[in-house]
Amino acid sequence: MKEQAEERAMESRGSLIFMEDIWKRFGAVEALRGVDFEVMHGEVVGLVGDNGAGKSTLMKILTGVYAPDRGRIYVEGKLVSFKSPEDSRRLGIEMIYQDLALARKQDVASNIFLGREPLRAYLGGLVKIIDRAKMREAAQRLLDQLRIRIDSVDQMVFTLSGGQQQAVAIARALSSTIQPKLIIMDEPTAALAVKEVEKVLQLIEQLKRQHISVIFISHRLPHIFQVCDRVVVLRGGKKVGDKPIHETNMDEVVKLIIGG
Amino acid sequence: MNKMFNTNKIKSLRLSSTAIIASIRRIKQRTRDLERYVGRLETLLALILLVVVISLLTPVFLTLQNQMNVLLHVSVIGIVAVGMTFVIIMAGIDLSVGSVLALASVIAASFLKLGVPGVVGILIGLGVGALCGLFNGLVIAKGKTPPFVATLGMMGIARGLALVIAEGRSIYGFPRDFLVLGQARIGGQLPLPALVFLLVAALGHFLLFHTRLGQYTLTIGDNEQAARVTGIPIDRIKLTVYMISGTLAALGGLIFASRLNAAEPTAGIGYELDAIAAVVIGGTSLFGGQGSILGTLIGVLLVGVLRNGLNLLAVSPYYQQVAIGLALIGAVLLDRFRGVRRER
Amino acid sequence: MLHRNNLLKVVVIGVVVGILALASGVNSVAAEQHIRITAVLKTLANPFWVAMASGLLEEAINQGVVVEILAVPTEEEVEAQLNLCETSVLRKPDVMLVSPITSRNLLPCLREVARQGIPIVDLDGNLPLDFAKGTVLGEEDIPIKSQIASNNTQAGEIAADYMIQQIGTTGKVLVIQGLSGNITGMQRAEGFINRLKAKAPGIQVIGPFAGDWDRLKAATITADVLTAHPDLRGIYCANDTMALGAVEAVIAAGKGGQVVVIGTDGIKDARDAIMEGRLSATVAQLPYLMGVMAVQTAVKIMRGEAVPLRQDVPLLLLTKQVLEAGVDPLLKYIR
Repeated sequence: MKEQAEERAMESRGSLIFMEDIWKRFGAVEALRGVDFEVMHGEVVGLVGDNGAGKSTLMKILTGVYAPDRGRIYVEGKLVSFKSPEDSRRLGIEMIYQDLALARKQDVASNIFLGREPLRAYLGGLVKIIDRAKMREAAQRLLDQLRIRIDSVDQMVFTLSGGQQQAVAIARALSSTIQPKLIIMDEPTAALAVKEVEKVLQLIEQLKRQHISVIFISHRLPHIFQVCDRVVVLRGGKKVGDKPIHETNMDEVVKLIIGG
Repeated sequence: MNKMFNTNKIKSLRLSSTAIIASIRRIKQRTRDLERYVGRLETLLALILLVVVISLLTPVFLTLQNQMNVLLHVSVIGIVAVGMTFVIIMAGIDLSVGSVLALASVIAASFLKLGVPGVVGILIGLGVGALCGLFNGLVIAKGKTPPFVATLGMMGIARGLALVIAEGRSIYGFPRDFLVLGQARIGGQLPLPALVFLLVAALGHFLLFHTRLGQYTLTIGDNEQAARVTGIPIDRIKLTVYMISGTLAALGGLIFASRLNAAEPTAGIGYELDAIAAVVIGGTSLFGGQGSILGTLIGVLLVGVLRNGLNLLAVSPYYQQVAIGLALIGAVLLDRFRGVRRER
Repeated sequence: MLHRNNLLKVVVIGVVVGILALASGVNSVAAEQHIRITAVLKTLANPFWVAMASGLLEEAINQGVVVEILAVPTEEEVEAQLNLCETSVLRKPDVMLVSPITSRNLLPCLREVARQGIPIVDLDGNLPLDFAKGTVLGEEDIPIKSQIASNNTQAGEIAADYMIQQIGTTGKVLVIQGLSGNITGMQRAEGFINRLKAKAPGIQVIGPFAGDWDRLKAATITADVLTAHPDLRGIYCANDTMALGAVEAVIAAGKGGQVVVIGTDGIKDARDAIMEGRLSATVAQLPYLMGVMAVQTAVKIMRGEAVPLRQDVPLLLLTKQVLEAGVDPLLKYIR
């Protein structure tokens, strides 16, 4: 009874993700100490903090890699418990790693549909062949959706620029049959040239326009301030700041990151 | 008037130079596309050139009989090399193929001497190869052992077992229905082993580029983390690929035994290196993630034609070894010069 | 960039063509091109075969015939040797001399050689013969004109006699034979062992072990056996390469001079070792003489003359005395 009431209360919050009072320790190290973290629908949230602040642990819990020692996770008001990354993905949470996890010697279309290739069955289902034509079309559509220009989806990924590769990674996140509601991007602009950074930020805007939320983890505060709606600061496993972007500035955020 | 003429000239120059750059880029892209399926183009060119040069140096080379011989002679190593291509594309290696070849042939031969029909003997041999491959795959995938070490171990185990089972001697004298495999000639000319090789290569090509098995093999070799993150069943693919390698090595051994009408426990020594050489010459990268079966086919033919030509010219076997070694290094160096990215 | 690629390609091709052109002259002896003999040997990596090749080539010059010598890089390449044989048949030699690596690996090719009516001579006795029918044993469609070989069994017997002479009629003796399944090695080992049984039954034989004609393998086997039997008195190896390996192991174990080591073949390294006192003796085969006899046989065949089905090539026991005396007539065939 109490849980139902709690759930109804949670639903009325209207958030996409609500992580409540998360605690996590690894041996002697307390990585997270009672962190609350919320993401609304169609919101771009910047997650910042120095190394060891707990950002990646928090995200690993959200994507089902770890289970929290204490605390609860609500997805669209419903209490969830992830036993594996698959559970998290099934609820529309997708993660893009810093190195993008792309197979660089393979072509764009194959990368986008990696693990989810469209198939055509022959001989009564005995032989399943990859439907490359369908894959190419769908890949092109996804890239168009993201407003990104690539010469050909048959190109090898290593021939693409940093921004284009990021787009491929995002397209892969979008290729799932379960429409993703949240995409977590870990340092997407870290190693990119200025022109490429712009492309990535535009991609994030494009996602927002499609009502997909983004958690943007980064050390590059200017980029955070360019594209996020809200910024959350972690330090030493605790949340020390959570402000809408126009209510704060870079100096304040830096002070929160460093502390003291 | 002069001014207008000049600007037109400049404009047309600029147009033609952009056109040239565009067509060069298109040619480069086409080459890259073609190479994706055919392997290193220089190898194909070298093969053609070699055929021309050898034909000029000895008229026997182009005779139908010799050409059929060449195909026959490359069949065993070719079949083994197809399996090796898959393993190398997956960023692995299989050093046990020569030994598995011998073990499979020796076990099949033993059963054939007991009176089983040829087909059964062949199936038993293939089964031995598959089992060895399965063992390799388990040690590598589940046991987290580096492929070099695991297959090196199997190399010794299989060879030792082959010598033990055959008591160090050849097992010979097989029934007709087994000898067909290595000695039949289609239409009186094309050796059956050559046909088997070509079929295996075609099947391999299909598997690699049109099925998920092939796509995942490429992906695992390219970036295993990407495979893990997208939920690809990595262990299952690794097991399958090593089983393919083992089974094809066994097939090679069966063809070998039926060709010689004898199973030798010392067969296949050094075949793993020959197969690797053919695969690399054909354009597959030793670092994994990229390769082609057709490329291996061309690599196998290049080495086979080179050997055949040098034999016809009665050249010392040591020059053959030097030539093949040079071809191997030359092939990889050519990649560097062309700036082709075969490795990270 | 394009220029450099093209230049490189031309250079590589030039090198390949150059090698081909140069090397095509390497192995054949150009004389009056009447009779063409093809010799498919095992390998040229062993001085035994190199000596045989010299015998073949020099006698070919004497006789005014052409001999082409083909071999594979190592003694394990059974399929490659078969391929080599099949390729050379296409050039239609007048006579074929063969030394198959195993007793069976060249049979498919020899069948074709016989079908084309080309006479076959077995060099070094690797083919089992049906002496009644004059064919390979069990293969009636492969006639052999002549088998020219040392009597391997006799080689073992000669070594056994010398061993008894040196160590007496009791003690332990290690026997190391050749590549697994190879007739030559087996016959030598058996000849040695049976002779010992007959003449000195008190001698305990350890082995025979397969040394694969390999120096290192024989050294390892010897070292292990010496550890197990420190009172070992003698070692017999089916070839000199292995005997030299055994000698190293004996010296390394500190038993230099206490163990009688006998090899087979009579290669130069072995003769040097005998002069230095490291190796006790070797039963020298005369591969050079074998090559000479082979060419002479081939010429006789082409002239329509009869040749014996089996020609034993004499053996010579080489010890320090024999070498120093230098009077034995067969010594001139030692290379």
